[in-house]
Amino acid sequence: MNNIIATHGLSKAYSGKPALLDLNVAVPSGSICGFLGRNGAGKTTTLKLLLGMLRPDAGEISLFGEAMNSEASFIAARSHVAFVSEDKELYPYMNVGETIRFTRAFFPTWRRDLEEKYLDLFRLPKGKAIPKLSKGMRTQLMLLLAMARGVELLIMDEPTSGLDPAVTEEVLQALADLAASDGATIFFSSHQLAEVEQICDSVCILDEGQVVIDGVLDDLKSQYRRIVLVFDGEPPRELAGLPGIDHLRLRGRTASLLAHLDIEAVVARARDLNPTSVEVRLVTLKELFLDHVKGE
Amino acid sequence: MLWYKAWLETRWRFLFLIGSILLVWLEPVWMPALGMKLPPSLPASRLWLALQLGSILLSLFAAIFLAGSGVNSQTTYGLTSGFHGSMLFTLSLPVSRRRLLFVRAGLGAIQTSVLVAILAGLTLVQRPIATTAPEALTYVMRAIICTMAVYALSVLLACLLDEMWQFSGGCLFWMAVFILQVRFVGVARISPLRGMSLISYPISAPIPWLPIVASLVLAFGLLYTSVLVLQRKEY
Repeated sequence: MNNIIATHGLSKAYSGKPALLDLNVAVPSGSICGFLGRNGAGKTTTLKLLLGMLRPDAGEISLFGEAMNSEASFIAARSHVAFVSEDKELYPYMNVGETIRFTRAFFPTWRRDLEEKYLDLFRLPKGKAIPKLSKGMRTQLMLLLAMARGVELLIMDEPTSGLDPAVTEEVLQALADLAASDGATIFFSSHQLAEVEQICDSVCILDEGQVVIDGVLDDLKSQYRRIVLVFDGEPPRELAGLPGIDHLRLRGRTASLLAHLDIEAVVARARDLNPTSVEVRLVTLKELFLDHVKGE
Repeated sequence: MLWYKAWLETRWRFLFLIGSILLVWLEPVWMPALGMKLPPSLPASRLWLALQLGSILLSLFAAIFLAGSGVNSQTTYGLTSGFHGSMLFTLSLPVSRRRLLFVRAGLGAIQTSVLVAILAGLTLVQRPIATTAPEALTYVMRAIICTMAVYALSVLLACLLDEMWQFSGGCLFWMAVFILQVRFVGVARISPLRGMSLISYPISAPIPWLPIVASLVLAFGLLYTSVLVLQRKEY
């Protein structure tokens, strides 16, 4: 599968403080990829770099297989890209209809049928001024602007932040439809792990400007296992040096290991430490996230 | 549509300036209505000088005010701090930053030119001595060209600073130029402020090419610098 987004060795610092360090991201065509990380992990910086709003200190960006090495290349790519920013700000001096007319002018492949469809679906009144729209309605309007232009890549920064559950569900449904029916690729940052798990087929987790885990969500879930060991007393120190474990968490008499390579061998080695019980279970995205992100 | 957007962003500023001009120049109508009178001893020539000075100040204000809230902040009115979030939406469109600046600064330059032409025209109408059409045209053109230097500096400052500092920075810069042109002959020769004035260069005097050319060079240089600044700016 071709990668719609690919970065190689992407680095960016603000006033000498690194925000991204040697970032390598690959988002396959047609996928819905969740971009996860704590606040300040570098998610928004990455999204802005992809759109040419920021300049990288080092590294390469490729969109649709083309290297983004000039303003002209970014402009060409943006003909096929839509962006929904975190605050969902649109022009405060326009109304819904004017905003649609304005955006339509930049996209020759604009689809009026989709414009009408989503105006009805999202119940957006054309005459309503932008400042009078709720954040949810602004999000829906931005999605309409993205879908009607025939977007191939939709980049969103926390699309559901500040939305009520009903609007969140509508937005997620619209995103799933966009990917399923039009084959669009969606790359979005989020803190809502449940939503990511609901609609994403791949994830990329960022921490301190570096990718700590990425891949197809189902593959990750099938590869990783949580191994919970309970001991009579304090868990043995040898656990920390046990080969094959990605993360170790100790709580009282319990040791919780995360592993993804040769699970059977890890379990066998763990049993050698004489725990009173051993439990191997599947992991959730939340566990993967918390175990890979430092400080949690 | 970028022109339409630029018009929506600047229309209230433009209409406010038109209103301000009318307010100043319709003094003969509203002052008596409010029971206010000009001193009867005030000579017409002095009154005209005051109007000429007022015209130049309003032209400067227009050039600074219309460049404000430019490509960065995208708000319609009010001194803004930082850029409006909708800038990210604009930057996600398939449009070059050069074109964004060209349209926004282009419309502002047209609006400034219209206001300066109105002000220059009104100044000539009030002039105690009759003015010929070529003289009037020459003056209006040089007033517009010299004001473009002021406008271009404001555009550059608007690319670099929040509107609060763009506005005060522009005012301070031209105040400094005014002081320097009084003290130094070299500055006086090329000063756009003097080029705008009928006091420094009377209408019957030869065309003051030096400030006109200097203003043109300055305006193009500053606008080119603005493009470079905007292209390098990070959002």
